[in-house]
Amino acid sequence: MTPKVTVNIDGANIKTARGSSVLDAALEHGTCIPHLCRVPYIESIGACRLCIVEHVVNGWSKVTTSCTLLVQEGMVILSNTEKIRKLRRNVAELLVSQAPNSRAIQDIAVRCGVKEVRYPFRNSECVLCGRCVQLCPGTFGVKAIGFVGRGKDRRVESPFDIRSELCNECGSCTDLCPMTVVPCDGPMKTGEEYLCRNCESKMAFAEEQGICISCDFGEGFQCERSPQNF
Amino acid sequence: MPPPTLDSILEERRSQPHQLIEVLQDVQEHYGYIAEESMRTISNELGVPLMEVYKVASFYKAFALKPRGKNVITICTGTACHVRGAKLILNQAVGQLGVKPSEVSDDGLFTIEHVNCLGACALGPVVTDNGNYHNHMSPGKLRKLIKSIYKTDAEEISHD
Amino acid sequence: MTKINTVKDLKALRKRLLKERKKIRATLVLCGGTGCQASRCQDVTDAVKNELAKQGLKRSVCVRTTGCHGFCEQGPLMVIEPGNIFYCHILPDDAHEIVTKTILDGEVVERLLYTDPVSGKLIQTESEIPFYRAQDRYLLAQNRQVDPCSIEDYIAIGGYSAFTKALFEIPPESVVREIKDSGLRGRGGGGFPTGRKWAECQKAPGDEKYVICNADEGDPGAYMDRCLLEGNPHLVLEGMMIGAWAIGAQQGYVYVRNEYPLAVKHARMAVDQARKIGLLSDKILGSSFSFDIDIARGGGSFVCGESTALMASLEGKVGEPRPKDVHTVVDGLWHKPTTLNNVETWANVPSIILNGSSWFASKGSKGSKGTKILALTGHIKNTGLVEVAMDTTINTVVFDIGGGGSNGNSIKAVQTGGPSGGCLPADKFDLPVDFDVLAKAGSMVGSGGMVVMDQETCMVDVAKYFLTFLQDESCGKCVPCRMGIDRMLEIITDITEGNGTSWQIGLLEELGSTVSQTALCGLGKTAANPVLSTLRYFRDEYEAHIHAKKCPAGVCQALVTYKVDAEKCTCCGICKRGCPHGAIVGKKKQVHAINLDLCQKCGICKSECDFEAIQVK
Repeated sequence: MTPKVTVNIDGANIKTARGSSVLDAALEHGTCIPHLCRVPYIESIGACRLCIVEHVVNGWSKVTTSCTLLVQEGMVILSNTEKIRKLRRNVAELLVSQAPNSRAIQDIAVRCGVKEVRYPFRNSECVLCGRCVQLCPGTFGVKAIGFVGRGKDRRVESPFDIRSELCNECGSCTDLCPMTVVPCDGPMKTGEEYLCRNCESKMAFAEEQGICISCDFGEGFQCERSPQNF
Repeated sequence: MPPPTLDSILEERRSQPHQLIEVLQDVQEHYGYIAEESMRTISNELGVPLMEVYKVASFYKAFALKPRGKNVITICTGTACHVRGAKLILNQAVGQLGVKPSEVSDDGLFTIEHVNCLGACALGPVVTDNGNYHNHMSPGKLRKLIKSIYKTDAEEISHD
Repeated sequence: MTKINTVKDLKALRKRLLKERKKIRATLVLCGGTGCQASRCQDVTDAVKNELAKQGLKRSVCVRTTGCHGFCEQGPLMVIEPGNIFYCHILPDDAHEIVTKTILDGEVVERLLYTDPVSGKLIQTESEIPFYRAQDRYLLAQNRQVDPCSIEDYIAIGGYSAFTKALFEIPPESVVREIKDSGLRGRGGGGFPTGRKWAECQKAPGDEKYVICNADEGDPGAYMDRCLLEGNPHLVLEGMMIGAWAIGAQQGYVYVRNEYPLAVKHARMAVDQARKIGLLSDKILGSSFSFDIDIARGGGSFVCGESTALMASLEGKVGEPRPKDVHTVVDGLWHKPTTLNNVETWANVPSIILNGSSWFASKGSKGSKGTKILALTGHIKNTGLVEVAMDTTINTVVFDIGGGGSNGNSIKAVQTGGPSGGCLPADKFDLPVDFDVLAKAGSMVGSGGMVVMDQETCMVDVAKYFLTFLQDESCGKCVPCRMGIDRMLEIITDITEGNGTSWQIGLLEELGSTVSQTALCGLGKTAANPVLSTLRYFRDEYEAHIHAKKCPAGVCQALVTYKVDAEKCTCCGICKRGCPHGAIVGKKKQVHAINLDLCQKCGICKSECDFEAIQVK
């Protein structure tokens, strides 16, 4: 069995497996830290910066992403302070101004407390969260898509913008995309989709329940505070 | 001396993925740009996925994915050159040659590029043509420089 | 080149070299730095060499082409030893006079001397020139003494003696303690204590460790690393060798910007020479220590100055930073413990080992020890590289060394620290060039760029310039940096085009602080500094753009119009020929006028006009 460590998140002492990230520990426990770029079971890249928390060391707090921070014995984490809420709201505002029509991004923005968007809306096709790139299994571990270019030219593409022979059409990229368009010529989505409200990792499969198949089978990351956690 | 072939550039670097940037640098230096075909060869020879080669080539500014003009005019737009009017120089070059930065002029003779610092800040604004430095540039001096390049080119053609 | 096998061999070689040097009658030291190369110093060197050959002085007079002397504005430069006679603005035609008069007759060629702009007096020696006098040149002074392409030159002035001292007399722990005690802090920007970095890396578990020299000087407006690596590459290598001995590394890398071809060439040459002579090899000089260095060329990306991005780039990958929850001293290049320092930091190491930590700590302020090289550029009389102790005030640098504003204009601000730094107004010029003091004032020492700006510079435009730069250079990985900079630029563009509203200033501040707190790497965390510092000190300029729709400095194109002053116009026609848009009308001997419909407000006419007849309002 994996050795356990105890971390303190927002005042609650949580026992969790060594080697897991603070975000995973929090989600497992039922503390919902908003996040976008994280894909379960895959090492996080820390790109969306929504899952920021305050990591308190010797009375000093440092703002860092919880998805890249590994749990350590006795760690103290604050995920819902005034400062964090404000920063998170500003980051979510940037995201939603870029993709106002995505239900998934809208959901996240609402959860982060965005009430108004102070920037002109842009309808980007992609917010470069990188979920598709992270998950793409490609062939023999060689990805079919990746980030190309840099700065404002950064985009998700196959080499030379031609569908790569490495793509095995598994559809994982479309499944995880919070937007309406995917980088390959895969099935286009209508824009009405949104992510599972539990795991925020996959598309919800039924409007009424609002959760994805994995969560329905009890395999996902239950994010709601349920009595057995306390 | 003929430019080294892709084979000779790859010599002693095969199957060493970390040499990717060095190889691309050499290809860029000798061919002026990195063609799709070279990227495929490099990918095979170094053992780096094509996606990775394409990513790297498109990320770094030193690499051009399309051919460039015969003469490359590089205009420094570093801070020191900026406050001394590098914008004017860039305007002059764009206006005179009728091309946007990093595009090739219709006659294939010129490409204008702007870089963020050439490291000769004390002498700004700085311009290089094919690697030769020109200091304290003004729009007028650049106009003359471009004209002189046109002239040398015309002479070369008439000699041929 | 004979191979050196022991320390004794090295000492014998040094002795022999010094003896040979005594035979030389005079040395002509010519600056061959990039600045002087742009001023055609190569032609001067050739002319001088020809002249010496013609007069039969080839053997007794030595010509040494060295790295940058710092005073780039006056190039091409020459210093004649003995006597330290300083000539500036030399042309190839002057070679004959220099050789016959100064070398043979011992006379000074007055017209080549430097004239003090204040007193109007001619100055004969380098040390008397105000630009050099107010400096504390330790690192830069060595540039003049060595030919960067010759390891013998470096050995002759005592080179590699610090390394051999460390290797045979000081155990690694004591080397680290010496560096710690000296108070040396990273010269690349952050100012992190070097000794602490080394100590952590030394303690990190693992046999395979690396040292890296960061010579990817992407900072626009700074070129001291280029100057050091071009002018004295062995000094940097020696620093790295001492560092490698201290932390236990077997391999080092120098990551050089490819835009610096001369630096790449000299660094490669230096490594080759050090290998041949036996200073980079297995079991160096009979000790148990093995070390080698490779040169890697950067691909042209500002973000590769960030340590994790640089290491990714060395591994042949895209230069994207990664989260630094585990530091690179433990998990760095190829996941091995790695010490990465800037060129200038490495260059400081040999002298600390040789002269002791207390010698180094005696210079500078309480928190920032030693000297710092600054690149003094912009609207200032004496531009060039300046080395001062780290308690020197900006006033001293700008006015005593820099000689004040060019064209007699008054200085408004100085931008320090490049795109990560900020702008300081003239009333803050009494602050010293100290890591902590400048950071508190909203700027930073950074890598040492110092761009002086006068009344003709619009501070909103400067902020816009840096945002454009950062937008171009951001890797685009994290949301705050990619989207935040983009939105800040959008707002500032609105302001410079006269579409700004007053609530946008508050939004800029809020967004700026969000970006600096949430971005992934150092580039993003400091990206808002140019905006925040100009907002702090030059808010009135922002307000003028927003409320009065005016650009006080006359820079922002949308807010100004160009006009010909009929009284000053001499009808010369230069502006008409210069205008790339054909917007200037007027016949010969007739006052010219600007067709505002065609005018693109590029400002070329104004820069061309010799009579200040083009007005900007």
